[in-house]
Amino acid sequence: MIGQDYWWVLLIKAVVVVLGLTTIAAYLTYAERKVAARIQLRLGPNRVGPFGLLQPAADAVKLLFKENAAPANRDRLLYLVGPSLAGGAAVLAFAVIPMGINNWFNYQFHWDIAHFNVGLLFILGVTSLGVYSLFLGGWSANSKYSLLGGLRSSAQLISYEMAVSFALIGTIILAGSLDLEQIVGAQQQTWFIVLQPLAFVLYFSGAFAETNRAPFDLPEAETELVAGYHTEYGSMRFGLYFLGEYVNMVIVSSIATTLFLGGWLPLFPFHPFDWIPGPLWFLGKVVVLLFFMMWVRWTFPRLRYDRLMNFGWKVLLPLGLLNILITGTVVALRA
Amino acid sequence: MTALIAVVMALAAISAIGVVLSPQTIYSALSLVVTVTMISVLFLLLNAQFLFAVQLIIYAGAVMVLFVFIIALLNPEAEDRPALDYRAMIGLAAVAAVTILVFVTARNGITYGSGGFRGQQVGAASNPYHTFAFGADAVNAAGNVQTVAGQLFTTYLLPFEITSLLLLVAAIGAVYLTRRTKEAA
Repeated sequence: MIGQDYWWVLLIKAVVVVLGLTTIAAYLTYAERKVAARIQLRLGPNRVGPFGLLQPAADAVKLLFKENAAPANRDRLLYLVGPSLAGGAAVLAFAVIPMGINNWFNYQFHWDIAHFNVGLLFILGVTSLGVYSLFLGGWSANSKYSLLGGLRSSAQLISYEMAVSFALIGTIILAGSLDLEQIVGAQQQTWFIVLQPLAFVLYFSGAFAETNRAPFDLPEAETELVAGYHTEYGSMRFGLYFLGEYVNMVIVSSIATTLFLGGWLPLFPFHPFDWIPGPLWFLGKVVVLLFFMMWVRWTFPRLRYDRLMNFGWKVLLPLGLLNILITGTVVALRA
Repeated sequence: MTALIAVVMALAAISAIGVVLSPQTIYSALSLVVTVTMISVLFLLLNAQFLFAVQLIIYAGAVMVLFVFIIALLNPEAEDRPALDYRAMIGLAAVAAVTILVFVTARNGITYGSGGFRGQQVGAASNPYHTFAFGADAVNAAGNVQTVAGQLFTTYLLPFEITSLLLLVAAIGAVYLTRRTKEAA
């Protein structure tokens, strides 16, 4: 027994999560292309397999068999560390996200890998390591575009980390816990998106910047920086960065689902809604948020870099502080 | 669990040595990142989950990022490796002596009071790791959010507030010093 589970249960959970996340990330690239195509009145990938469903596999094969071209004056070790870290931090964060609790034959099965009493802090801590992959990737390639892209994205990530964390504090005050299962449990009556609408908007806008996605995809503004921090990466090394970005999308959507959309709880707490199992509710909500992120990407233009920084520091952060103040006051008055 | 702790401790020690011995500054900084991360993992293995998260967020995620940033941008030249001459030997010997002294003192619970040095052998016979043996509940209480917050906002409120004021002053000072004046721009 490790914690509350048998070791083989943990092993199965870990394998399922890692394989599941990478598969989901691969199919998100397909979904992104399909959504982009529909928004631009095109068809999108439709040649490989039925409805182009085998496109991600074809892409992976192509990336794996490409030549590993790399700049000559690179820092050989760090050049490889960058992409290796990219997906790792994000996948690790998923370990503590709860997708439901089931009771089977007196065995309480938790749909997460590890249970933390400070689960939210674990996620914030682990994802804060992701900045190293972007910065080291940008720096080690010894190219000006990479370096500028790496600098931009690191500065952006550090700035928005603050704003995002502040936005989450309101929900922690309401739930009175950092334990993700208890935060979901506190939403039995009302989801926190109803009680904390401002925090949700702040968090999700910050999340776009955290995942380097449009309209905040400055690190890879192709008109100015070619491709940003991964300019000098090719083949599967680039693929790992790409994968990390999509896994990150899943992570931020999962956090938003857990903290604001009631996690695995059904939409209404009666039949027939509660016949659908919790993990499916969880995944459904995550998919809705993911679609929303793609929708935004193909709808809004990119911000200028100074506007992006101003938005983070002068809009999101003060509003987050205001939200904490109001939430704290209301909770203290009602106590 | 003990084996895992030993592995993590060894990694922390190796990366700490790497901080000193790396020829390139950036590798020194990154070794320090590994050291800090390993220490946070140690906290986790000892059940102090809050300390783990704080260590990771603040040191590995914020402070060291700035270190790496600045080192990578200034790009200092690789320094000459100092020769292992007699001065280095004296230094190494001194470090080793102090380390051994601290370890022996801690292991035997030696304190200094009015009656001079006093040693007390703490259960070394029954359990060689006695000094590290705290129950999960005790560690959990010390390392969890409510306890830390309770202490911080009641017993240590004044030092806490003074420290935060100090940090605020430092931040404002840094912004002021780096701000470009109209004439210089």
